[in-house]
Amino acid sequence: MESALTGPGALTDVSGRLAGRPLEEWNAAYAKVENYFHALRIRNKALLGQLVLRVLERAMKRAPVEPDHSATQIAAEEMDRIVTEWFAEVLHEPPTNTDQMLSTRGRLALLLADMPGKWQDQFLRPPPWPEEFVHSMRDAYLRAGPGFQLSKMTPRPFDLGPLTTLTNLGRIPYLKMVVAWTLFILLLFAVFYFTH
Amino acid sequence: MPGAPQSVPASDQSSPLGVTPLPRVHRGGRVFIFYSSALLLTGLVSLLFADLLWRTGWSASSTVLFALFVILFLLIAIGGMHGVFGFILRTFGDPRRITQTDYRGQSIAGTSTAIVFPMFNENIVRVYEGLRATYESLAKTGQLEHFDFFILSDSTDPDKWVEEERCWYELTRELDALGRIYYRRRTDNEGRKSGNVRDFLNAWGRRYRYFLVCDADSIMRGETLVDLVKLMELHPTVGLIQTVPALVNAESLFGRIQQFSNRLYAPVFIAGLNYWALNLGNYWGHNAIIRTEPFMQHCDLPQLPGQKPFGGQILSHDFVEAALLSRANWEVWLAYDLEGSYEEVPQGMIENAQRERRWCQGNLQHGLVLFAKGLRGVNRLHLLLGIFGYLAGPLWLVFLLMFNWIHWYQKYTGLSEFTVHGYLTNLSGTAHAFLVFIICMAVLLLPKVLALIDLSFDWERRRAFGGLARTTVGVVGETVFSTLHAPLLMLWHTRFVVTNLFGASVGWSQQRRGPDGTTWLSAIGRHWGHTLIGLVWGVFMWRLNQVLFWWFTPVFTGMVLSIPLSVWTSRRSLGARARKLGLFLTPEETKPPVELVSLRSQLRIHEMTDDTTPRRAHAGLAEAVLDPYVNAIHVSLLREKQLNPVYAEQLAKLGAGREEVRTLGRKLLTEGPAQLTAVERFLILTDAHAMVRLHQQAWLRPDESLAPWWRAAIQEYSHRD
Repeated sequence: MESALTGPGALTDVSGRLAGRPLEEWNAAYAKVENYFHALRIRNKALLGQLVLRVLERAMKRAPVEPDHSATQIAAEEMDRIVTEWFAEVLHEPPTNTDQMLSTRGRLALLLADMPGKWQDQFLRPPPWPEEFVHSMRDAYLRAGPGFQLSKMTPRPFDLGPLTTLTNLGRIPYLKMVVAWTLFILLLFAVFYFTH
Repeated sequence: MPGAPQSVPASDQSSPLGVTPLPRVHRGGRVFIFYSSALLLTGLVSLLFADLLWRTGWSASSTVLFALFVILFLLIAIGGMHGVFGFILRTFGDPRRITQTDYRGQSIAGTSTAIVFPMFNENIVRVYEGLRATYESLAKTGQLEHFDFFILSDSTDPDKWVEEERCWYELTRELDALGRIYYRRRTDNEGRKSGNVRDFLNAWGRRYRYFLVCDADSIMRGETLVDLVKLMELHPTVGLIQTVPALVNAESLFGRIQQFSNRLYAPVFIAGLNYWALNLGNYWGHNAIIRTEPFMQHCDLPQLPGQKPFGGQILSHDFVEAALLSRANWEVWLAYDLEGSYEEVPQGMIENAQRERRWCQGNLQHGLVLFAKGLRGVNRLHLLLGIFGYLAGPLWLVFLLMFNWIHWYQKYTGLSEFTVHGYLTNLSGTAHAFLVFIICMAVLLLPKVLALIDLSFDWERRRAFGGLARTTVGVVGETVFSTLHAPLLMLWHTRFVVTNLFGASVGWSQQRRGPDGTTWLSAIGRHWGHTLIGLVWGVFMWRLNQVLFWWFTPVFTGMVLSIPLSVWTSRRSLGARARKLGLFLTPEETKPPVELVSLRSQLRIHEMTDDTTPRRAHAGLAEAVLDPYVNAIHVSLLREKQLNPVYAEQLAKLGAGREEVRTLGRKLLTEGPAQLTAVERFLILTDAHAMVRLHQQAWLRPDESLAPWWRAAIQEYSHRD
């Protein structure tokens, strides 16, 4: 079976366009998809190239019928779709258009299962997958803390006795000014007292 | 997890196994003997000082001077008595220690302890590596299953927040400690550190029989942690055990001097403290194990009535929490002979003063708590000593000024200096004054000398300090430094106290540190006032009385030399040179414990491998949005937080989940983070849905619809390994 990239359609036309778009546009799309897979820590260049081409292949099929969208945009959408569909398959969770949490769960599962270190070859691969990989993906759950056991500490106010009255002195208007003046008068008094 | 804690306060149970809490009358006797000794000494020396004043002619100024002398001498006499009593107890044995009983065989099966690390915009690498060292040490004891670790973040810097999450994940992966080391960030900082711990207790406290509070720079040996739990298990009436953390890891000369004095003097001094405090000991806020249930029941701190600086939130919460536990009849002990508890020390005089400033405000606030009904007398003493730790600075300054004033007055009014004979008829006035001075110095230096003698009795410790001769030279060096440093602390404390009393906060911008310590510019900025005061005072004294001038030289010298002193003592190179000469050595330097070796080697690896190029502004936000894994971690933690109704309510109150956050998210992408306020950026980071959407949009949107900042961030992000 021929794909958009390997079949006759993959060749540029006479005006040097691919799937109806200039080569530069596909180059930008390639970079975008590659960047994202790179961010997912796909470090094997052969695998990385293969995955990017797989996304572009689907994008090129859409490109002729969606002239209003750039190749980059279509490729990014396809990349998101492919990854999310694959997450749904591996995690056994149906993809929904509304809940973007599947993608989050999937990425977290990739991290916890150590996809970048142990399972790069399984990423975006169709089933069957090794048992261990599937288990580690499905069991992945990040816990920031043990189950909550809620309680409520309640402060008991101090009984400061008559001092409480003193603490309310701060509410007197212009207290600081009055204190400053009093201190000044006391200072004058002290100067007089000590010098006589 | 084990079941709920089963504990009873001291008053509800007959003598527990091991240490028998002293009947109150005995502790009262100890307090009486201790403070009477200090008072007796103060009385005798005050009499001598009063006689000296009498000889010069008593005046109103003399009365003020005398009153100040009594207070200040009493404080140094109390310090001296700590040395004397501690020395005696260490020489002849102390039967009243929490560690006195054989607790090693005690089982900790069925216990659960949370080790919590509250942090606030800290150096993440250092905190996490300290946690790693503690974790690995604990793992070696084979008792890890009885402990959980919690990183309790209060960080307000979004970049730090994201980095903390990422590093937490990496650490747990490396240690295979997912489900053993947890991370929680609060949505608000209410109550600061005590509020942070209270929040932890409200969420998880009931799961743990004990919790152990660490500071951001704490390191604990695994065996020590297990020992603390054993001690708690053995003594069901004990609510809190405070260890005495050894200061470690200092590299600058200042830091090494501080850790040397801490390691040498603290054992004697704290043994003296334990003599009178016994089971009404104190809590210093970290490196202490606490029985969760009574703490939750009795130690939620109320707001103090009135306005700042005394009213409002209690800043130095630890002393008060210990007092509240004691009030509820729970014992609080200082496990002063338990090794394996460490913390770090500021590396320069300015950083040290910065820390003092915070503590000063909190300790002054205790002036109000002091009068709270129901507190034990011993706890009031702890609070009072803490307050005078800072009040002594201004009192000393007033004492010196008053002394100068009297001399100036006598000189310019033509009064003769010595008018009548006193008790010591054979002594001249100068010799009399010198005698009082010598006694003061002797009492001040007594704990140091006793600590040195104490060291000479212990061959192993002596060797750990590099030998008696080197330690003696170290003590002399430390004393010279303290003499120069003390006048600066006096000026600083005076400033802190005065500004706090007037309800103002002391302005203190971030200090500039070079690779080897405090920069000259920073030192000039902080110390020019000290230098000026020293110069003016020195000139004044020279013109007043040249003999008196020489008596005052230690005070001026510290002030005049404050700038070079601050810069040079902060130098790592000088610290290293002193170490090479065998000066200021501590046991942790001569024979470093495994935990510290591990910490240092990990930090060294970070130094060599970490990217040191400055991160672009909002790098944390970029990472949380763009990195597929960091985004997933961040969102998962936010979602988990929603499971706690309290957190969910707080998040909702902040605005998480509202339409306006989506709008802000769009603005973030199209205009870049600089166009949003810090609050708006924070709001986005607290909204799980917004973060998921931002991740998707940042990668899906065509470059033209992203702000140039994002395009650059994606480029930068995609090319890193």
